[in-house]
Amino acid sequence: MNTYYAANLLIFAGVDIIACLALNLQFGVSGIVNFSFIIFQAAGAYAAAILSMPPDSAPDYSFQIYFGGYQLPFPIPWIGGAIAGGLLALPVGLVVLRRLRADYQAIALLVTSIIANTVINNARPLLNGAAGLALVPQPLQDQVDTNTHAYQYLYIGLTAICVAIIWFISARIVNSPYGRSLRAMRDNELAATALGKNPSALKMTMFIVGGAIAGLSGAILVGFLQVWAPSTWLYPETIILFAAVIVGGRGNNVGAILGALLVPVGFEEVTRLLTRMNVGPPQLIPALEWICIGLFILGFLWFRPRGVAPEPRHVFPGAPVTEDTHWVEGAHAS
Amino acid sequence: MPLSEPMLTARDVHRHFEGLHAVDGVSIEVMPGRITGLIGPNGAGKSTLMAVLAGTLPASSGTVIFQGEDITRMPAYQRARRGLVRTFQLPSEFAQLTVLENLMVAAPDNRGESLLGALLGKRYWMPDEERLVAQARGLLKRFGMSAKESDYAGTLSGGQKRLVEIMRALMLRPRLLLLDEPMSGVHPSIVDEIAGYLETLRDEGLTILMVEHELHMVDRLCDPVIVMAQGRVIGQGGMAALRKQREIVEAYLVG
Repeated sequence: MNTYYAANLLIFAGVDIIACLALNLQFGVSGIVNFSFIIFQAAGAYAAAILSMPPDSAPDYSFQIYFGGYQLPFPIPWIGGAIAGGLLALPVGLVVLRRLRADYQAIALLVTSIIANTVINNARPLLNGAAGLALVPQPLQDQVDTNTHAYQYLYIGLTAICVAIIWFISARIVNSPYGRSLRAMRDNELAATALGKNPSALKMTMFIVGGAIAGLSGAILVGFLQVWAPSTWLYPETIILFAAVIVGGRGNNVGAILGALLVPVGFEEVTRLLTRMNVGPPQLIPALEWICIGLFILGFLWFRPRGVAPEPRHVFPGAPVTEDTHWVEGAHAS
Repeated sequence: MPLSEPMLTARDVHRHFEGLHAVDGVSIEVMPGRITGLIGPNGAGKSTLMAVLAGTLPASSGTVIFQGEDITRMPAYQRARRGLVRTFQLPSEFAQLTVLENLMVAAPDNRGESLLGALLGKRYWMPDEERLVAQARGLLKRFGMSAKESDYAGTLSGGQKRLVEIMRALMLRPRLLLLDEPMSGVHPSIVDEIAGYLETLRDEGLTILMVEHELHMVDRLCDPVIVMAQGRVIGQGGMAALRKQREIVEAYLVG
């Protein structure tokens, strides 16, 4: 395994872990079925690209058209990516989250994702349309030589720092009284309202926090790939992340990380090897991949609905010792 | 507030659903320190009225006044924070939270209940949390549920879920409790227990408005009783007096 491949794998893992932690906050903990998740990653990636690239009038960049181009130094593009993700959550959340019932929210968000992709794909003057942005500068490329092993390690390190920060934030939210209110809202929104919780505010906050984290993941990704186009953020990418959170364990940050490593990283890498072995017609393996992702989700929802690492039971210090009663999906009558 | 002032007043409250008048001009008063019963046949509009009073459903017209304040347009969660707390006709526990967590969710004044508080970490909110855990455990002990504190609420029996809901509501330190059929789906052996708890709470000064179908329970607990049929109030007063009114008996039998 060469260094570039290893770096590739680790950085993808970091990006997927960050994205899954964000989706876990929204879907696993708060019960928001955010089928538009990937557009927040895309917003972060585009923002980071625009903030770090020179204007499209620059000699090497004149083959593409886009607005902005600010050539700002690292880490501003990454921070900007997170802010962009959070800002995008505001209008989307205000329209979708307040008045619609949860199942309609999911549909509305899915449609939002498709509309956003179609618009960016076809409105070329915005962000270069379907061809996307290329030659996105890498972080610190003016200071260090990016064609070295050392730079790969540096990038892995920067990604790891972001993973640690996001892990810290997610853990503090999930393990706090605030996180408990989010889980209560997920279990029964009406009852939470009757106890003085404002579900619109709780959902909106998690939509913005999750959007910002997704934006950061996009910024990290675009700094590494150096290209970003509508074909990289089609709505099925969201489904893969949902599969990861469901397989890993909804509501558990550890589960989100396991899911990220099992589904997007493990799964896609395994199938990528198969593609190289030239089995069957060229589109066979990608098609089988989607079938497997679908079966994976169904299988887990059916046989192990709480995932590989289920949400832990929160026992308070000094609790009387009782026999271990596990939560069993469907066992409660209501 | 003098005792003669009603805790809650509804004036000419209407609630329509596409031309169906579920609540059709209801005016009631709930006096403090009593358990007021709300009875009537199925479809009388009792649960709709409860939802309008709690803010879960907006009123189509009319006024709701709670402790002297017009709350007609106030969202449900703000009414709860002011002490107007409801329970639901169907069990509505937080199934994947433990019993103690169910109670803790309702506790007000926890510094960890905001995003900022959560991010500041355990050291910031632990004092509040410990105080509220002690308070919640006190309730659990009182309601004989201490042994169940770490059980998932979704695994409890119907009666235990009811108790969790009542305890959860009490964590908010309510001024007025709206109970929607607290005895429904509860094993008969627990019904008496719940009734006993409600009597104690009333004697401690809590005001309760309660929808109930079991007339012997209404006899035991409620005074006065409001009778609804077809979206309107058709009588109110003591149970003994109501039993003598022919149209009320008929509404119950016919409805």
